[in-house]
Order: sequence, then C-alpha cells, then structure tokens
Amino acid sequence: MNTLSKRACLLAGGLTALLAVCVSVLWLRQRGAQNAATYTAYIYQNGRLLHSISLDQVTETYRFTVDAAGGGYNIVEVSPTGISIAEADCPDQICVLQGRVSDSLLPITCLPHRLVIELNPQVPAPTGSSPDAIVY
Amino acid sequence: MRTRKLTALALFTALALAIYSVENLLPPVVPLPGIKLGLANIITLLALHLYGARDAALILLARILLSTLLFGQAMSLLYSLSGGLLCFVSMTLASRLLHRHFPELTSILGGISHNIGQILAALLITAVPGVLVYLPYLLISGIVTGFFTGLCARFALRHLRRLLPPG
Repeated sequence: MNTLSKRACLLAGGLTALLAVCVSVLWLRQRGAQNAATYTAYIYQNGRLLHSISLDQVTETYRFTVDAAGGGYNIVEVSPTGISIAEADCPDQICVLQGRVSDSLLPITCLPHRLVIELNPQVPAPTGSSPDAIVY
Repeated sequence: MRTRKLTALALFTALALAIYSVENLLPPVVPLPGIKLGLANIITLLALHLYGARDAALILLARILLSTLLFGQAMSLLYSLSGGLLCFVSMTLASRLLHRHFPELTSILGGISHNIGQILAALLITAVPGVLVYLPYLLISGIVTGFFTGLCARFALRHLRRLLPPG
C-alpha cells in the first residue's frame, strides 16, 4: 500500500471512530436520561437567566413573549408537561420547528435572538431539614 | 490570471451563490441549529481540487460576501465566516495531505470543522455552556453531509478534470 492510500485509510478509520463515539454518546445519554418527576425550565437571553419556571407548578398552559435585544420576539408556551417556542420572527424558525421539549436531552436555542431554554431535572428539596423515614 | 480561468472562477462563484440560495429555501432537514446540507461546499471542493487553495478561497469569500449582501443579516455573516473559515483551512490541509485524491474525506473533515466552528460561535454568542450538548449531533451530521457533498464533488470532478485543464 502506498503512503497516500495509507493516509486515506488512517483518516477514514479515525472518522469512523469519531462517528462511533458520537453515536454511543448519544445512545448513552438517551438511556441515562431517566424521566425525572419534574423539571425546571431555565430561559436565558445573552447568557443572563431571565426566568426559571418549575413545571410542576404550572397547572394551565400559558404563553408569554420574550423580546430580543435588537428587535424581534419569541413567544414561549409553557405547559405542565413541557415548554416550546410557539412563535418567533427569527429568519430560520428552527426554534419553532423544534417543537415541545419535555426532557433535558436537548435545549431549545434561537441563535438569532440569543435565546436558550434548558430543562433541568428538579433537585428535590434538601433532605437535611426533614427525616428520610420515621419508624414508630 | 488567464481569461479562461477567470471565467471559470466567476462561473463557480455564480453556481455557489445559486446553490446556496436554493438551499436556503429548503426547510431545515433536522430542526437543530447548525445542521444543514452544505451543498454550496461542493463548489468550494471542486475549486480546491481543480485549482488549489488560493482560488478556492477567492470563490468562498465572494460567495459569503455576496450572499450576505443579498439575503443575509450581519449576524449570519459572523456564523458563516467562523464556520466557513475553519472549514476551509481544514479542507485545504486535508486536500494537500491527500494530494487532491479523496474529496469525500476532505469534505467530511470540512463538515466537522464547520460545525465545530459554529458551536464555538454559538457558545460565544449565547454564553450558555448547555449548547455544547448539540456537539455530538452536529458532528454526526457533519460526517454524513460531508460524505454526501464529497461524493457529489467526486462525480463532478471526473468530468470537470477533462473539461477544465488546470492553469
């Protein structure tokens, strides 16, 4: 085998390995994401936390508007089971097309408006204050 | 620069712009930021394999500037440039390493670096580290779309090498 095809084989092998790593990372994440009972939604704009909403305290679906700094808006829809961007005037509409997110696998991002919505499993209330179990 | 070559480069630029604008009209294949087919990269690949890095860079720059002028916003120029530049540098290195023989591999490397560049730009712009979660998705899409555009370039090169003698 000459040097050229050796290089090509090496490169192809490396790329296949990278692909395998990526697929297994995704698979592990998918499997490892046990359904937390409740999530908290964090809405960031320009890296600043605008709102945090515990979804278990949401009883009814509602919407609110987030205005982007340079003009433009995203209408966020919050429901007890998830969060989505219902409407936006960004050019690519990717955030709207992504639909409702109800787990922490992927955040919703609207890059043109620098908006990120993350769901994180809700941390249970600190157990220090209350006993784990009481035996009579 | 000979007139023949100048005409060919201008034609490639026009083709790249046309492909880019048609791709913009298509709905996103996967609704995740940064994932796209990157069909205009076929032209960059062709120029890189037919003429070399300098001329391919000229075509790429002309395409990015013209497309921003025609349909872009200033923001997308930043993304295009950060992704496009990283992509171009790695494709140049790869095509040199592979003696312009494997457009698929060159293109895959370009696709991956393009997406890494975009996630870095997104990280800078949104300042939320959580966007790194997109990285494995973007890498997989870069490999798949890169392979596809590379195959397109290989089939086109088979004919273009006869039609357009270098120089």
